[in-house]
Amino acid sequence: MAAPQRVACVWCPDWPVVASGIPAAVPGAVLHANRVIASSAAARTVGVVRGLRRREAQSRCPDLVIAERDLAREVRAFEEIAAAIQAFTPRLELTHAGTVIFPTRGPSRYFGGDHALGAKIHDAVHNVLDDRTTCHIGIADGIFAARIAARHRHGSVHVVDPGASPEFLEPLSISTLGLPELVDVLWRLGIVTLGAFAALEAADVLGRFGHVGLRAHRQASGLDEQRADVSDPPQDMEVSIEFEPPVERIDQAAFAARHIAVGLNEKLERRGAACSRVTVEAESEHGENFVRSWRHDGALSVGAITDRVRWQLDGWLQAPPQIRPTGGLARLVLRPDDLIAAGGRQLGFWGGETEADQRAGRAVARIEGLLGVNGVQLAEVRGGREPMDQIELLPAGSIDLTDRRVAQPDVRPWPGQLPAPSPAELFSQTAIELIDAQHRLIAVNGRGEVSGAPTYIRSSGKAWRRVESWAGPWLLDERWWDPERSRRRARFQIVDEHGQAMLVYLEKGSWWLAGVY
Amino acid sequence: MVSSQQNIADIIGREVAPVVLAKEQLIAVPSPFEEILPGAGLQRGWATCVTGSPAGRVFVWALLGELTRSGGWVATVDVSGINLTAANEVGLSIERVLVVSGAGAKNWAQVLGALVGAVDVIVYGNPRHRVQPSTFRKLVSRCRERGTVLMQLPNGHDAASRGLPVEADVSFDVRPAGWSGLGDGHGRLASRAVDVTVSGRRVPGRPRKGTFMVPDADGTVRSIPAAPTSTVQDPALSIVR
Repeated sequence: MAAPQRVACVWCPDWPVVASGIPAAVPGAVLHANRVIASSAAARTVGVVRGLRRREAQSRCPDLVIAERDLAREVRAFEEIAAAIQAFTPRLELTHAGTVIFPTRGPSRYFGGDHALGAKIHDAVHNVLDDRTTCHIGIADGIFAARIAARHRHGSVHVVDPGASPEFLEPLSISTLGLPELVDVLWRLGIVTLGAFAALEAADVLGRFGHVGLRAHRQASGLDEQRADVSDPPQDMEVSIEFEPPVERIDQAAFAARHIAVGLNEKLERRGAACSRVTVEAESEHGENFVRSWRHDGALSVGAITDRVRWQLDGWLQAPPQIRPTGGLARLVLRPDDLIAAGGRQLGFWGGETEADQRAGRAVARIEGLLGVNGVQLAEVRGGREPMDQIELLPAGSIDLTDRRVAQPDVRPWPGQLPAPSPAELFSQTAIELIDAQHRLIAVNGRGEVSGAPTYIRSSGKAWRRVESWAGPWLLDERWWDPERSRRRARFQIVDEHGQAMLVYLEKGSWWLAGVY
Repeated sequence: MVSSQQNIADIIGREVAPVVLAKEQLIAVPSPFEEILPGAGLQRGWATCVTGSPAGRVFVWALLGELTRSGGWVATVDVSGINLTAANEVGLSIERVLVVSGAGAKNWAQVLGALVGAVDVIVYGNPRHRVQPSTFRKLVSRCRERGTVLMQLPNGHDAASRGLPVEADVSFDVRPAGWSGLGDGHGRLASRAVDVTVSGRRVPGRPRKGTFMVPDADGTVRSIPAAPTSTVQDPALSIVR
């Protein structure tokens, strides 16, 4: 088996926060689908961590500055850093904005070893960063080890000696793999370090955990993620497009990105292949050449390729003047690398991402376009005493449909809540009249005593209906300290002569219909 | 060369295209409801109509419980006063329900069109505006193609229940058949019985009838076995000589 490639990983932590322009000293967070995906160091000290909801984050830090995630902006901001690193080596590979990977064999020899190269790049990046965030560099055998090395030692360059990657990874926690489902199973099996996982037979891991497990096993063993025997992609796989006149605007570039990505995907599909790395190459009308590779875990879909091409073109066209192309882009080439057999993307069997969720997500986007943000909503269970309080409807667009947790039933008691079943249809501001046999309006005194047995009921303007059976009052006295939201009600359940069950209440001397069952 | 390869690929594609079993075209329903549905499930592509409010609503929520629990999606469009707590209680997984409101007359057709194929069942409140039969027919044919079920609910508890602009595949008539648990000044609403009559052009033979508890006193949904025919007769009727 070929030795893994020696690679360096340059990592700028909290990149989404830096790209959104929030200063490091200010507590800030970047959200996607209502959850925190990155927070600044200042925000972390007060407990704003990844995965929190917007509301939770704001309750922990009221003066939190919040920005929505914008991947194009992140790449655009990162272009400056990438350009600084490109002064040392031409073969940069991005997995996402904030992380760059490149092979070090050539540059290390030229600059006098891994340590010297690391220090030089660190200084260069540090200058560009201007204290917005820090920069960590890890150099090791294999991409996974390099990535971990960059995260491992804070503040400087961490070099794992050639051949020492397995020992470096051995004592680390299994959760370093970052695959929650697999890690959870391994943890319960008593495999808590990468070393223990690597010690298992690869064939057994493949048999039990499939390709995901095998890939993780290769990572844990300090081997390259991809099989080393992948031959160079044939030249005819690349797709190119010439721009006449040259492209200067982002919207034109985005259109071209879509077009060229579809072209590449068709070519790949015809061969039953998919690529996990794509190289974007652009040439300006003045003959300048720009090259950048994008890597992805697993196969890149059309959408993913389009996004990456768009971000990259955006990044180049909006870069600071000294690194920006001097003219419009005249030619664009996409070259697929690391071809793998297209197995089709396996969607989740239960939980996780399913095709149905994606389709629903697309429908949400279309309806939002027609009716506005609140036109399509999703329910979340909340606690409450009244039927209308127990469910909250949230804009569906703010929720990631493909990554949702099942609504947990609220198990805390709500004294004063009417037990199930709940009304099927709710009404607001629907006045009714409820009278006793002597045609007097039913009243309830402060002690909860009813003036008489309800005998007839009618909605205003309709015919009287006889009350078959009734129960109540269930008294409710909520938020008496808040004049706006306080409620003082006496609730009754009533079944009329047609067998129709209703929930009615008396508030401030008038009767209202709350809902029908 | 290329074209002949293409042809072969087309032929192979046709020959090995998966056969869709009738069973897979069905949306599973909770077991108590299987007996009243032809094929023991909701056929994908049906346009259905539910009459009888609000018991009809709870019946629909209970009917769709199985679908949402197995990962399917339901969308509701302009269902007035919707209370998903009640839906939750009879087994609907409410995190798989898209609640669309404010479609109105202007965007009604577009909104339903956007949902066809994206969700498994569209439950819409009886629109207050008039829907052109041609518009509706177009919608129904798209649903049939994409396998989405349309269900029309009555809006408002005393609204006259209007049928579909075209003939419904299946109609559900849901009538309350009595509450239990509530006394004269005591007790509380505990369980509800509903009589459901299923008819329509997709229901062969006579309309199917069933009585269900939605929900029963323990919160479950179950069917009540039909009583012997002699007791079903209306006691108020007697032979007149």
